[in-house]
Amino acid sequence: MNRFFRALKSVRLAIILIAFLALTSLLASLVPQGREGEYYYANYPNLLAWIMLRSGFSNFFRSILFAAASGLFFVNLSFCAIDRFIRERRKSIRRHGPDLLHLGIMLLFLGGLLSFTGRQSGYVWLARGDAVRLPGDRLLQLTDFAYLKYLDGRPKDWISTVRLSAGEKTLLDSFPIRVNHPLKLGLLSIYQVSHEIERALLLRDTGGGTHSLARGEETRAGALSIYLVDPGKEGEKALIRVQDAAGPRMVSVAPGDRIGSMSVADIRDIEFSGLEAVRDPGFPLVLISLILVGVGAFFTLYQRLHDMGESRT
Amino acid sequence: MNAVPTIAFALIIASAVVQAVYLFRRKRRVDPLSHWFLAAAGVSLALVLATRSAALSFPALTGTFESLVFYALAVCVLATAYRLQRRLVYMPLVQFGATVAAAALLAVASSPIAPNELLAPIPALRSGWLVAHVAFSFIGESFFLASFVSALGFLFTRDEERRRSYDRITYTAVAAGYPIFTAGALIFGAIWAQRAWGSWWSWDPKEIWALVTWLVYTGYLHLRFLRRKATAHRDSLAAIVAVAGFLCTVFTFFGVNFLLPGLHSYG
Repeated sequence: MNRFFRALKSVRLAIILIAFLALTSLLASLVPQGREGEYYYANYPNLLAWIMLRSGFSNFFRSILFAAASGLFFVNLSFCAIDRFIRERRKSIRRHGPDLLHLGIMLLFLGGLLSFTGRQSGYVWLARGDAVRLPGDRLLQLTDFAYLKYLDGRPKDWISTVRLSAGEKTLLDSFPIRVNHPLKLGLLSIYQVSHEIERALLLRDTGGGTHSLARGEETRAGALSIYLVDPGKEGEKALIRVQDAAGPRMVSVAPGDRIGSMSVADIRDIEFSGLEAVRDPGFPLVLISLILVGVGAFFTLYQRLHDMGESRT
Repeated sequence: MNAVPTIAFALIIASAVVQAVYLFRRKRRVDPLSHWFLAAAGVSLALVLATRSAALSFPALTGTFESLVFYALAVCVLATAYRLQRRLVYMPLVQFGATVAAAALLAVASSPIAPNELLAPIPALRSGWLVAHVAFSFIGESFFLASFVSALGFLFTRDEERRRSYDRITYTAVAAGYPIFTAGALIFGAIWAQRAWGSWWSWDPKEIWALVTWLVYTGYLHLRFLRRKATAHRDSLAAIVAVAGFLCTVFTFFGVNFLLPGLHSYG
């Protein structure tokens, strides 16, 4: 049993696993990941394609092989770290840099696992005035959108100004979401990810609220559902699919037409802001682990270089 | 201002020539001049980056040309510092290798694969985390370059005393570069990716190769840890791993950009 534990905490095993993970990751980076089986048979010799698919190499970082090697590395690291920490406590001059580094990597594994299993994301296109419902019965409304360009026409920034409310209560009156500057709501973050100009159908409801529909989008008001099939070209009517008490039907509409409780306000090119909502329960742990890895690496090697300097004098 | 990188290149070549003359002389003497050429080249390259940063109103580190200039600058500073330090035995080959590498980096920077057109960064690149990511990664890699040259020196030398000196330089260079590279390539890179896209790790080819590089150097440090029961075979293995680690950094920067498309296709 002692031999088994000695093997599990050995630096030799760590080196073998590090070499294995480095080599397999390197090979996996050379193979397009996550494609259909036909792709590999079409682009590689049959035997190689079969091996890639059977061994999980076509989706290596989600494969059992990678999970098993990483899991064993985690166990090895844990045993090694505990053993080292206990030994270090007995010394008069203690060097805890490697312990911090090892703890950071162990937490990184756990944070990565949490991210991998618990990360959720959703994508939405909003025009000015559009709103989207967030978890916790909160409403996020796009109040303004700006596309800033450099003098040479290249994009400088996309800024979506949003308002956040819950029922009648305004939680956030105005917040500019920019690239590299997301809106953080606890574990949920809203990112500015893209921008489009698209021909869209603008509908007005009885309360005066507007709804913009791009091709393939749908809006509902009670039993009425309107789906934009084709916004048409300049001067043409838009083709929509209406679903209400009378059943489903295709209708061509122009500005001023009524569809149940809605009216067509306009059909024109409008700007849409692409926002992505991400909830990653693993990231706080990942951040802590990265800080520990950084501090641990610095102390480990600073102390080692310092000790080497001392041994020279 | 377009002439400044050329002046820097000429200074580096002058430094390399002086070093080569002293390197191949029968009577071993330390040259008194080459590091001043390198220092002047470093100042010129810093001037190039400062001027471009002022024109962009943002640190100029977001394009391939600027990255190469920064990398060459880091190598010049390191080679000068190595020449002037007193803690390690001075091995002229290490400084010479670093000087040739700096010249090669600037030669690539002047080639069509690194256009020097002054372009303001796209929104995703306008981040302090990105600047820290790039700067720390290249500073770390400049130490790895020194370790690469000294590891080659170790592998191709028979003299035991010289081997010990090369081995010590390799280890100290990796030991200094490792935390800087860890901070730059992995920590700041992950934080930037999370701020920009909400995904701190995407298994993008460049990320994988940065991880592979980090694993290789982690392997090197653990091999050194086993050195208490050192054998000549194990020392050579550690030197080979140090060489492989640097080749990984080269592929991460050049190979991935041109052969493996991914999220880092802009730099």
